Formats: sequence, C-alpha cells, structure tokens
Amino acid sequence: MQTHQYDVVIVGAGGAGMRAALESSGRVRTAVISKLYPTRSHTGAAQGGMCAALANVEEDNWEWHTFDTVKGGDYLVDQDAAEIMAKEAIEAVLDLERMGLPFNRTPEGKIDQRRFGGHTRNHGEAAVRRSCYAADRTGHMILQTLYQQCVKQDVSFFNEFYVLDVLLSSDLSTGEVADGEPVAVSGVVAYELATGEIHLFRAKSVVFATGGAGKIYKTTSNAHTLTGDGMALALRRGIPLEDMEFFQFHPTGLAGLGILLSEAARGEGGILRNGDGERFMERYAPTIKDLAPRDIVARSMANEVREGRGAGPNKDYVLLDLTHLEPAHIDAKLPDITEFARTYLGIEPYTEPVPVYPTAHYAMGGIPTNINTEVLRNNTDVVQGLYAAGEVACVSVHGSNRLGTNSLLDINVFGKRAGIAAAAYAATVDWAELPEDPAAYVVGEIERMRDQPVGERVSDLRRELQESMDLNAQVFRTQESLTQALADIKHLKKRYGSVSVQDKGRRYNTDLLEALELGFLLELAEVVVVGALAREESRGGHFREDFPTRDDERFMMHTMAYQRPSSTAGETEIRLDHKPVIMTRYQPMERKY
Amino acid sequence: MAQTVTPSALEAPRSPRSPRSRRSTRTNYELYGWVFMRASGALLLVLIFGHLFMNLWVGEGINAIDFAFVGGKWSSPLWQTWDLLMLWLAMIHGTNGVRTIINDYAERDATRIVLKSALYLAFVVTVVLGTLVIFTFDPCPPNAPAELLASFCTA
Amino acid sequence: MTAVVDAPSGASPETAPEVGAVPTFDVTLRIRRYNPEVAGDEAYWEEFTVTAHGTDRVLDAMHKIKWELDGSLTFRRSCAHGICGSDAMRINGRNRLACKALLKDLNPDKPITIEPIKGLPVEKDLVVDMEPFFASYREIMPFLITSGNEPSKERLQSAEQRERYDDTTKCILCAACTSSCPVFWTDGQYFGPAAIVNAHRFIFDSRDEGGTQRLEILNDKEGVWRCRTTFNCTEACPRGIEVTKAIQEVKRAMITRAF
Repeated sequence: MQTHQYDVVIVGAGGAGMRAALESSGRVRTAVISKLYPTRSHTGAAQGGMCAALANVEEDNWEWHTFDTVKGGDYLVDQDAAEIMAKEAIEAVLDLERMGLPFNRTPEGKIDQRRFGGHTRNHGEAAVRRSCYAADRTGHMILQTLYQQCVKQDVSFFNEFYVLDVLLSSDLSTGEVADGEPVAVSGVVAYELATGEIHLFRAKSVVFATGGAGKIYKTTSNAHTLTGDGMALALRRGIPLEDMEFFQFHPTGLAGLGILLSEAARGEGGILRNGDGERFMERYAPTIKDLAPRDIVARSMANEVREGRGAGPNKDYVLLDLTHLEPAHIDAKLPDITEFARTYLGIEPYTEPVPVYPTAHYAMGGIPTNINTEVLRNNTDVVQGLYAAGEVACVSVHGSNRLGTNSLLDINVFGKRAGIAAAAYAATVDWAELPEDPAAYVVGEIERMRDQPVGERVSDLRRELQESMDLNAQVFRTQESLTQALADIKHLKKRYGSVSVQDKGRRYNTDLLEALELGFLLELAEVVVVGALAREESRGGHFREDFPTRDDERFMMHTMAYQRPSSTAGETEIRLDHKPVIMTRYQPMERKY
Repeated sequence: MAQTVTPSALEAPRSPRSPRSRRSTRTNYELYGWVFMRASGALLLVLIFGHLFMNLWVGEGINAIDFAFVGGKWSSPLWQTWDLLMLWLAMIHGTNGVRTIINDYAERDATRIVLKSALYLAFVVTVVLGTLVIFTFDPCPPNAPAELLASFCTA
Repeated sequence: MTAVVDAPSGASPETAPEVGAVPTFDVTLRIRRYNPEVAGDEAYWEEFTVTAHGTDRVLDAMHKIKWELDGSLTFRRSCAHGICGSDAMRINGRNRLACKALLKDLNPDKPITIEPIKGLPVEKDLVVDMEPFFASYREIMPFLITSGNEPSKERLQSAEQRERYDDTTKCILCAACTSSCPVFWTDGQYFGPAAIVNAHRFIFDSRDEGGTQRLEILNDKEGVWRCRTTFNCTEACPRGIEVTKAIQEVKRAMITRAF
C-alpha cells in the first residue's frame, strides 16, 4: 500500500472536480483522483449550453433566472442556493470565456445565447435567450477548457484510480453519533486500476465530484461509468442522501438507445410530433409548448405512447421533427446530434423526423450540502473538511426537476465554491487522525470479491436491476410498481453476496470494478425506490399515478435517506427523515407553462 | 495492515516503451529542409525537362548523341552550370528524401546510423565525382580519332 | 447494452423497445489478447461468436463477450456514443471508436478483427498506455495564452474568427489519429497529429497570443515536418476533423513566419 498526503483531495475529474481543482491547486497542495482520464468524464457529453443572464441578445436578469429555476424544480428548490447560482452564473460563463472556451458569437462578437426549456422572461411570459453555447458541444468545450487550464496550472492527477472509501473520524453508519458532535474527514482509499495496488490518500479536505448514477436504469443517456460511486460511498459511511427519488428523464433520447439529443434541438425550432403528426405539446403546455421543462415533456411523450398515439411499427416512440429547418442552420447549430441520428439509427434529420423516447438523464438528489458545498451529515451539522459539488451533490438548486443547462452551471458555480472552501479549510486546520488500519474495509471488499471462486455473474444482476428500474420506477410510478422494484432490489442484494468475477488478476481488472460498481448501484436504487414509495405525491421528475397532484401540505420538504443497520444482523435498511425547503422570495404556485 | 503486493512479473505499466528522449531541436533546419524539397523539386522539373529536350528532341534527337555531342555541350559554361545544378539539386533532394524514409522506417538506432552513413557516403562520392567530371572534362583528348571529336577540336 | 437484451415479456409501454423490427445475426470477433500476468509475454488471437441486433455497435458485441463469455476481456469505454474518446481501437485494420462502428457496416460474414491502437505500449488486451500521448499534448501548451489585464467582460471575437478554428475544437483526445500515423509507429517520438490539432486550435484563435511559442515548439525535428501527408489521421478521426489539413495550415504558418 502506498500513502500520499495532500491538503486537498478532489475525487472526480469532470467539470465540477476540475473547476474545484483550478481554485484549490493555486492555493494549497492538491490532488485530483479520477477513475477515468479527465477528458473522458461525462461533462463532455453535455450538449445544449449553460444559462446565465448575460442579456447579450435580449433583456434578461438573474432574478428571472432564479424564478425559472425555482418554478422548474416545482418549488422544492432551496431558494438561497438558486439565487447564488443564478447570480454567479454570469461570472461563471465569463470565467470560462476568459479561460478560452470557444463560445458561439453574436454579430457584435459577444457570447451568443439561445432559448432553452423552462427559461423564460419576466416570470414565465415567454421563452428567453439565456443559454450560452458552443454549437451542440458545450459540455465538451467546458471539459476541454477546464482540462487545458489544469494542464497550465500543472494540477496533479491520479488517473484511473478508483476511490472506494472515504475516511471519517467517527463511524456515522451506526447512527449513534450525537447531533452537534464534530466529525471530520481524514482522507480516501483508492484502488489503482493499472496495478491493483491500494493507495491511501491522507487529506485535510476531500471534495466529492463523482457525478451521477444513471446506470441504475437500462435506458439512459449516462456513461457506463456513471455508477454513483461517490453517493454510495457517502451512504455507506452513514452520510444521508437527499431527494434521491427525483430522477430526470430527458425527453429526447434516441429511441431504443437512450443516446441524448439535446434540448437545443427544440431551442433551435425542433418540434415533437406523435404518430398522427400532431404537435402534441400544444395540448400539454400551451404557452411554451416544446420548450416546457423536461419532466413535463417526458411525461407528455410517455403519455402519447401509452394512449396509442406513438409512431413507428410498434407505436412506441414519438418523433423529433427538424425537417422544416434549413440544413445549413442544422449544421451550424446542431452538428453532433444530427450525426448521432445518422450513425446510430441511419436517419437523415434534414428530411426525416428522428425517433425519440425519454431516457434516464440526471439525478436531482445526492449528497446534501449547504451553499458553501460543505457536506451535511444531518439537517444541520457538516462533516468538517468534506465537500461535494456537481451531480453527486444536492444543494439543492434543482429541486424536483432540473432545468436544461443548469447542470453545467451547477458544476461551474459550486465546483468553484468547493475548491475555494476546501482550500481555505485545509489551510487553517491540522491533519485529522487516521482511523486504525484505514484500508482494511477496501482490501476486505476487494479480496472477498476476487476470491469468490464461483457464483453469479455481475452482468446478470445488473441487467435485472436495470430492467426492473426501467419497468417500475421510471416516468410513471405507482405504489404497486415501486413495491415490486423494492422487492427486486432486495432480492438482488442478497444474490450480490454470491457474485464472482472471472478476472482474478491485478492488472487492469475492470471485471472486479464492475462488480464493485454493481454494489453501489444496488444500494442507490434502493434509496431511490424507498424515497419514491414514501413520497405520495407527484412533483417534478417524480410522478405517482396513484397520487397525481402535488401535495405541499405533506411533502413540501426534502427527503433525507440514511442507511442504518437493520434488525437482522449484518444487513442495512434505509431510514427516511425530512429537511425543510428554504424559501426566500417565491411562494409555491401551480406550475403551468 | 493488509499488504497489497505487486507481483514481480508486473513491471510498472506507466513507463513508456521508449522514454521520450526529445532533445529540444528548435532550429529552422527541418523547416528549410521542407522548403528546399519543394523548391528544388520544382527547379529540377525545369532542369530535367530542359536537359531531356536538348538531348532527345532538338535536331536529330537521340541519334545525335555521341562523345562529340557531350563534348560540345560541356565546352559551354551554360551547360556546365546547368548540369552541375542538376547534379547537386537531385542529389541533395534524393538524399534528403531517403534520409526521411530511413527516419520513418528504421526503428533501431543502430540500423539508422548504418543506413544513413551509407547514404551520406554514396552522396559524397557521387557529388564529388560528378563535379570533378563536369569541370575537368577535356572535350579534345589528344590522340583520339578525329571523327569522334567535336568540330572545334580540329580547328 | 440496451440493444443486446430483449425487453422481458409483459413490458409496459413505457420501456423503450427496439426501433422497428430489427433482425438478429451472429457475428464473430477476432480479438488480439495480451495479459502478461496470466498468459505470458506473447499476444494471441481469440475468437468469440455472439448474437447481435441490427443497431448494435462493436462495443455492444464486446460487452456481450465480457459480460457473458469472458469477464477478463479488458478494454476502456465510458460514454458509448463517441464523445469521451475512451474506446479507440483498430477494427478490421482501421482506427475507430468501438461505440461508433456499427456491426452491420463491417460485413459480419467475416470475423471482425480487433486490436489495440498501434504505437503505444499495450498493457492488457485493448488497453494501451496513454501517457506518451498525453505527454505530447501537454508539450504544445494546450491552453489560452494572453497578456495584459483580464477584461471585465468577455473578449470579443467575430463569428468568422470563431469559425477559423472550429474544426480543431472538436478533438476528444481519443488518439485514433496519432496511433494511425506511420511516422508515429516508428519510434513514438513524433508529436503526432492530435498534439498538432490542439496546437492549431490555439494558433488560429484570435484571442490567443502564444502562437509564436507553439510554432517554435512544433518546428522541432519531431514536429510538423515529420508529417508525410498520408491522410491516415484524417481518415481515422471519429469526429471528422480534417487533421491533415490542420497540420498543413500549421506548416504554412511557420513558413510565413520564417520568410
């Protein structure tokens, strides 16, 4: 085992992680640990843009942006956080431009902006041009630009290192640590993919920026590597997860494949049509039609299909129509996504509409943090030195439904805040005491998994999990379907105890890591389903057919899910608690578009 | 503490196959080389076609070529310069071309050194010999049969 | 994985099924394996036959092998739709991303050969050491270089100036171009197309002031002058970047500067 010592260790090298690294590495000794090479991170797959009220093309202000974010999140947004995000968005975009990001430009040479779902002028009057973009590869440009700056600053990266444990000064997982007692982070334990060696990273501050967990679903726009590692590690160590039942289904995934086609396609004028050729969004959102927030569009699409108005031989998808747009316009603004349609479905978007269907896209929930990105271990106490930013965190700026482009904003605004806060904290404190035998848990897990001679295949369990989640916990949910999902997950968790991997080696053992990732997925799926069962209302990305309306009386609050030992020895269960929503200016109203 | 041992058979996977030994060579040598190849190539086209035109086309064409014809040409400073230029440019152009091919395809340093030494030796021999011939050529060697010589030798 | 697994019977309408009626077919993958830990220092070929659907990509078939036949088959992958650049490999002798190569376009009647990309040290199966590749990238100073005070707002740039370097901003650093280059294969000292593409992205950015330094770096004996314009890189680029053209533009900029 090798030991490293850094003031700040950042886990994850996507947008949030690298944005944090840029702040932190200039101030204190910083390491970034990533399970991939930084440029492989899924930030690069984001397409449409990053909203900020620059008002470069039309009147706009950050307060309208705040309102849209709050309303888009169906009022479950913590409004103090949304205000910060909308306000700091402007500087975040300008920061990126000054780092060299090649934004599209207006005729005057300023950053160009375009329309995006749910973003409106003057509290919902009409769609507004707020999204700053670089063709339909804004995320790619952000990831590349941040990596370039990291190269410039000579940031220390540990590539292809899997963080498998976070070390805390007290064991929170038993639930016995009293509120108010100080708990501090002391480092992380990582597995080096190339050699199979265990590395102990001792740190004063740890920033989690590990991204989402889309792989709990089968149809997803997420990368194979998005297995919710950071969330699950926190959960295992007794830190709660907030609002995990809210998962965003992006309306326009390529049908059958789940590959994302940006909302920018609709921002640029694309229209959704059902099997009869009808522009059905006019019925669901008369004012902003196809540019309604994602939860509404996704549900409307699923409803069209369910009521037999789908397109295609099996009437199981709807169509994204770009044929009325000029090919030159499509090439200039949407080159990549039209390429996806050609490559994967053999469809020419100039002349044919593209088959689309909702695809699991984004976890609104995550590790709870305050506005300074400090991780909360209950409703009020922070874990000293532990920070989280990006999709892994729940600040909560997205509430029950994230608006398009707000994730790229989230990673930049809160990534930056996390980097500054982590460095500032590390500069003032001494090294926290390491637990005795800090790598014991990770070594035990790995050896158990590797040494199991025969057993079930990881892929079988994962497939069953993903199929059950797609079937039972997707756009439409009921008590019955969720109960089924929970039973499936519990059964799979039992079977997980007997999985075995075929690759017994140390060198680049991805087989072993897929097995560990499956463990994360199973635990997170359980949190999603338990939270969804308890939330007997419909709000944002969470739609219960048996409770189709929003119930502010009972559920205007965040879900806090804790993993605690159950009465059966050696097993755990999810216990739910609640946290109040912070409201500053906007009182909940009915959400109409 | 549990010990994770790296098996001895597993060499450190991060060491590159051939460690980058790039010495900073930031002269314009390669740039001039690249430009020279294009410029000499264009010039050689003119020189070679001019040469072929004179030798094979004008007058009786190929039937006119004999010792006297060559002797006649090389008694003129114009054709001496022409052929000298052609020799030098073609040799430098060709040698540089082969040098880059050796650089591209010879993987081992030793192979490279051997091939390049042979190449440069061939270059020097050919250029020195050729230059000597052009300048020391005697169009009217003594005791040669008169019918083989250029008309001005007998004058 | 969406494509290799059929939806279970009784699926409700909200699960996304296959697009249209897609026929299945058997395909054989001939994969170059290498694992010094187990099988010694020699690489060897291994063939696997799996059943695939019409829209399946090479990556789907490889996942099927890894998940159902041989878990030790090792390759990198992440996003699975050609944007992260993890899964560049040599498929039927051509560098491609496994997630962008559709099986039906590859003539599944014959075995499809899959090898690691060339010119970088192989670590295990299709995994190569990317460090030399990124080292070259870092050497060309791939970041915006400016002088003077930062502006309080954005730097201005016209749409035409932005368009000038658009093509080379698409690079995802997958190494398909560099590892398709015969000059790079020889000794790995050449900077390679990817590094030059990323230098191009800044040299032709109107906001950047580090062009001279980058041109000087690429004027190296292992720099742009080793390019033989074989166009392998342009053909290999999964993002459709005109790589050879970009290299030629850098050469032209150097000549303009020198004379």
